[in-house]
Parts: sequence; structure tokens; C-alpha cells
Amino acid sequence: MLGSICACTELLAIVKSTSNIVGASDMAPPSLLETATVVEKMVTRNVDLRSDTVTKPTEAMRAAMASAEVDDDVLGYDPTALLLETEMAKMMGKEAALFVPSGTMGNLICVLVHCDIRGSEVILGDNCHINIYENGGISTIGGVHPRQVKNNDDGTIDIDLIEAAIRDPRGELMFPSTRLICLENSHANSGGRCLSVEYTDRVGEVAKKHGLKLHIDGARIFNASAALGVPVDRLVEAADSVSVCLSKGIGAPVGSVIVGSKNFITKAKRLRKTLGGGMRQIGILCAAALVALKENVGKLESDHKKTRLLADGLNEIKGLRVNPCSIETNIIFIDIVDGSRTTTEKIFKYLEERGILLMQEKASRLRVVLHHQISASDVQYTLSCFQQAVQIENGN
Amino acid sequence: MVTRTVDLRSDTVTKPTETMRVAMANAEVDDDVLGRDPSCFRLEEEMAKITGKEAALFVPSGTMGNLISVLVHCDIRGSEVILGDNSHIHIYENGGIATLGGVHPRTVRNNEDGTMDIDLIEAAIRDPKGELVYPTTRLICLENSHGNTGGRCLSVEYTERVGEVAKQHGPKLHIDGARIFNASVALGVPVDRLVRAADSVSVCLSKGIGAPVGSVIVGSNSFITKARRLRKTLGGGMRQVGILCAAALVALHENVEKLESDHKNARFLADGLNEIKGLRVDTSSVETNIIYIEIEENSGTTAAKLSKDLEEYGILIMPMGTSRLRVVFHHQISDSDVRYTLSCFERAVAGEPNENGN
Repeated sequence: MLGSICACTELLAIVKSTSNIVGASDMAPPSLLETATVVEKMVTRNVDLRSDTVTKPTEAMRAAMASAEVDDDVLGYDPTALLLETEMAKMMGKEAALFVPSGTMGNLICVLVHCDIRGSEVILGDNCHINIYENGGISTIGGVHPRQVKNNDDGTIDIDLIEAAIRDPRGELMFPSTRLICLENSHANSGGRCLSVEYTDRVGEVAKKHGLKLHIDGARIFNASAALGVPVDRLVEAADSVSVCLSKGIGAPVGSVIVGSKNFITKAKRLRKTLGGGMRQIGILCAAALVALKENVGKLESDHKKTRLLADGLNEIKGLRVNPCSIETNIIFIDIVDGSRTTTEKIFKYLEERGILLMQEKASRLRVVLHHQISASDVQYTLSCFQQAVQIENGN
Repeated sequence: MVTRTVDLRSDTVTKPTETMRVAMANAEVDDDVLGRDPSCFRLEEEMAKITGKEAALFVPSGTMGNLISVLVHCDIRGSEVILGDNSHIHIYENGGIATLGGVHPRTVRNNEDGTMDIDLIEAAIRDPKGELVYPTTRLICLENSHGNTGGRCLSVEYTERVGEVAKQHGPKLHIDGARIFNASVALGVPVDRLVRAADSVSVCLSKGIGAPVGSVIVGSNSFITKARRLRKTLGGGMRQVGILCAAALVALHENVEKLESDHKNARFLADGLNEIKGLRVDTSSVETNIIYIEIEENSGTTAAKLSKDLEEYGILIMPMGTSRLRVVFHHQISDSDVRYTLSCFERAVAGEPNENGN
């Protein structure tokens, strides 16, 4: 980490002495060759906007990991893991909690525990993380049938469509049994959109009415809570279980925590072992997570501010389009405007050469995700590079 | 009075050493899902080299290591795996290969030395001509050292014979090598030679080697590519995992050579316990770091009672059934701990009250 700070300082010094390439959006950009030559001489700055999972452990976390009190969490319990789990249960307003290696395992366990009877079906959004980015594990590993319902642009699923998707028990001869509804808050694929507490409670009521459970994929629930100004326990009150990532915006190196009733977590612990997630002296990772919870939840609002700043700036660039209403937390989807001469590949490459990493979502879409290790100066730098990238292609 | 603690429940209880803690604090890390974590990469490279395989993959546990290995070899629905009826995969992994993986287990009797008779293995291989009613045998699993028979070692000759059977009939060979380093040290055979016949091996770092968390599976490049994907599916894709891998690298460098002394301690205790009237240890079965202790009928105690009595001396062991106990050694058990343990066993069996007046 120290190395990259030095690199950035050096970079700025070189930049100042050669030309005002960076940050000078009102000057005519140099030719591609000139820029490439200077870039080669520069020590590359690192601005990793691929995901909030890239956060590296802080000094405080490293110190906590080095001195963590540990024990065998399978034969008994690891005391630091227990501390973390107790704290998370309290924060989320649930009876118990369980540390797991990843959000994927968190969701997988939750779905499989709620749907532990063969022949189960789960209702979830067609554009949710579980459906798109978890290898279809709930089916291929868990034998659960996914009933996909359209996700709206705001991350919600229409309540009447959810109800319509619930299987009528009278048709059971040919239907699976609906046992679970899953929501995702904040909803990643729609750009980190937040589900309100009112909406969540309404889905909860539908679930209760029909005898179903409600699981929230709360990988970024802290972001949603900060953005909505709703305490996290209130936000998930209607849910029977929640999977919360610690390794994303909260910045821990590894892990997620699932929360739910004591009975649910007991079953979850067993399934975690079966999946191979029963780790031994796990307190090392939990110690870092405890630091993360203490230090970084309060920083999320500033991630959101920086995101809005960047989004507004990007939206000003002719050739790019960002939907400003969709910027609620720390994720931006950037679309290339039709007719613009630039492409996602070209922008992607241009930025990569300048040390800025992001994700190409599809042919004409890019994604950036902010986190606490992205500074305001990084945001400015990123914006300038975007401006140049597009200007170069559009021939200024 | 401060009770001394001697934790002999398992070699998984080892706590990270000072060097490990320093290594973890300074570990160079990155997102191992989006790209590669450099410390993890180093560990995987090293493990591949040590085991003589093309590639390796860090996983959170031995259970996941075995689960992934079985499921990758048996990725076609309708597969069957041949394994010992007293193997760890069959007894202590929640039946995951079946309940999660849809693989049918075909058990073959484990002998007391951890092997399965070669002719019984062959007999268990499904005849493809019967495929209309049979699953397809895709894998044979061995376990070295074999946990439930008391840490018994499978020789390199035996392993190669099983490998030949596998090659002759088509199935792959996986070795549950949770304690492969113990077997290697006890047999005096380098690890890579010992597992040469295997298509994949699952090796625990969190047991006798003493790392806080994790195992590594090794195999061909193409096998590990598939394994990495299945690891993600199961939820084992961790981010800045280099923290754990840094500790594992220290463990590999520092603790493999200590295994021989764990074995010496085990033999010493085994011999001593065998002298105690009321207890019986099959000392010829003590090859590595595990001892099974039988409680004789005339001893006046039971596994549960003896276990509890020993706990009051600060000694933790594992009762296995009504008249059986298990003790497992690791590098954080000192010579003095061993002598203390023996004397406590002597007192507890003799029915002497604890000095604390219990």
C-alpha cells in the first residue's frame, strides 16, 4: 500500500514536470503517441474500480489479524468468530449469525436451508446476483427450482407478479412447492438500487400470507441502509434470513455473515460444513471483519457522495450516458451513446493504461464501483481520463 | 490454580505461531476471484511442485477439497465412486458427495491397515455392459494416512497397484491426503512419489502442518480449472485470501520436519498407555500421530468418564463410542505434555482423585 502511495506522488511530480496531461480537461489533449510515451515513463497510479471486493486490509485490520484470539471453530468455537457473529446478529436484529467464506456461500446456504425439502421452488428476480452470478448453484448443487420474475429498473419485483408466481398447492401434482422469496438490497445489476423498507415489508407480508420465507441477499445492505437513512435492522426486519458481505464496501479481506433465527443458523452451520466452509482458526479473518464493521460503515456515505460526483461528471461527457436517478449507492453503469465513435473496449483500454480498472458489462456498457480506498483525487483523475478517452475517439 | 491445557482432540487445534502471525500481518494480497491473490498464487505453485502435479487450488477445508475433487471427476450425472467404508469422505463429510453432488458412493471394506483389498476394488467396478441398470464408476478414492484406522499409512506400492487398476478400467484415482505429509514422513517416501499414481490429491494445511485454515487440492491444469469453478459455485471463492495462504506457506516451511517428532511422541504415549492395566493400545497400528485407545471391560471406567476425568487435569481427548478414545498429536504438544498426559492417564484409570479434590 505504501508502495502505491509513493508511486502516486512520483507520478504527480513527473506529470507536473512534463505536461499537464492529467486533470487539464480544458486543454487540447496530446496525441495518442505523446500520451503513450509519457505513460511509459510514469509509474502507474492504481485506481481499482472493478468492484468493492478489491479493498485491501488496512493497518488496523492487519494488526487485529496478527493478534487475534483463535481456536478451532469446528471442534468448538473460535472466540473471535463468536464475537463477530454475536455483533452481527445484534446489528441485524436477528437471533444468531454465522460467518461464511463468501456471499455466494451465504446465499447458497440460505436458499438450501429454507428449501431443504426436495421439490422446492424459490421466487427471485431474473436479474439478481443469485440467478446470474452464482453458477446456478442453488439448482446444480441444491436441487432447488428457480422461478424468475422480472426485476424492474429500480431493483424491485412487482408485488402482483410475485404473488402470481407463488405455486397454488392444489396444483401440487405437477408443481414444485414454493418455499422462499428472495430479494436483493442493494440490487447490484440495476446499479446498486435500494429497496425501501416499505417495499421490503410488503413483500414480507406476501410471504407470510402464503406461508413462505423471505431471504434478503444483503451483500450491500449497509450501503442501502446508509443511502436510505434506515437502520439496518429495521430494513431487514421482515426477512427470515439475510446474507451480508463484509468483504465488499465494509472492506474486510474475506467473508460474509448470514443471520437468522437460532434454529435456522443451526441448520446453516451444518450445511456450511457439508459445503466445505467449516474453517478452523477463522478468528484471524473475523478480527479483520470486526475492525471493518467499526471503521468503515461510517465511510459508506462518503463513497456514495464520490459516486454521485463521478456520475454527474461522466454524464456531462458527450458520448457517455449515466442515468442519474439510478445512482443511489456506490455503483455506476455507464452507457455509450449511440452514434458516439468510442467503444467500451477503447475506453477500457485507455483507462487501463492509466491505471484505472473497471468492468465491461456488455457491448456498450461499463461498470464502476466505488469503495473507501478510492479517494476524491482518484475520482478527479478518473473523470479526466474518461474525458480524454472519449475526446480522443471523437476526434475533439 | 491455572490448569495446564493439553489439547489432543485433533491436529486441527494448532494455533498460528508468531512467524505465521507476522506473515499474515504482512501478506501481499489481492482479490483472488477477480484476479489472483499473489500469496495464494505462491502457495499454490509451491504445493503443485511439492506434490509433483501441474496445478493447485487453495480451499477453505479438507471437506471442500474432497467434495470438489469427487464432483469434478464425477461431473457427469449417474457417476459412482469407490471408496472405503471407513473413510473420512464416507463417514465425516455429511454425505455431501451424494446429497449435494449426486454421486453414488460404492463402499468397499477398509482393512485395519487403511487399505482395501485390490480384488474387492476390482469387483466393485461396474461392468459397462450392465449400464442399463448400473451407475458408471468414474473414481476410486484412497485415504493416506487413513484417519479412522489410526493414522495408518498406505505404501507407495499399494497406491501404485490401485493406480494401475484405475488405469486399466478407466476410473480416476483421488487420494484424500489430509495427512499425506505424516504418511510421507513415516514411510520415508517423498510426497510427490507417494501420490504419483493419483489424478488428484487433497492436502490439509490446517492439521499437523499447523496452518490456521485451509487445504490445497492438486491435479492437472484442466482438473484445477474445473475445480476453481466448482469452488466458486460451492461458495469457496474468497477474496484477499493471501492472509491465510501466507500462514500456510510458513507452516510448510517450518512444520513438515516436525512431524517425525509428533510420531515419536505418539509412539511413546502409545507404549506407555499400553502398560496401564485397563487400557489397550494396538501399538503396531501407531504409525503416525494418531492413537486409538481401547478401554477394557474390567477397567472400571468408560470413554465418557475417562474423558471427563482427564479434562479435569486439562487434557482434552476425543471419546469415540463407549469404550474407545482417540488422541492426536501435533507440534504444539511438547515432550513434557506427553509425560504429563501419561501420568494423568495412569492416575485417572487408577481412580485417583484429582489434586483439586474432585
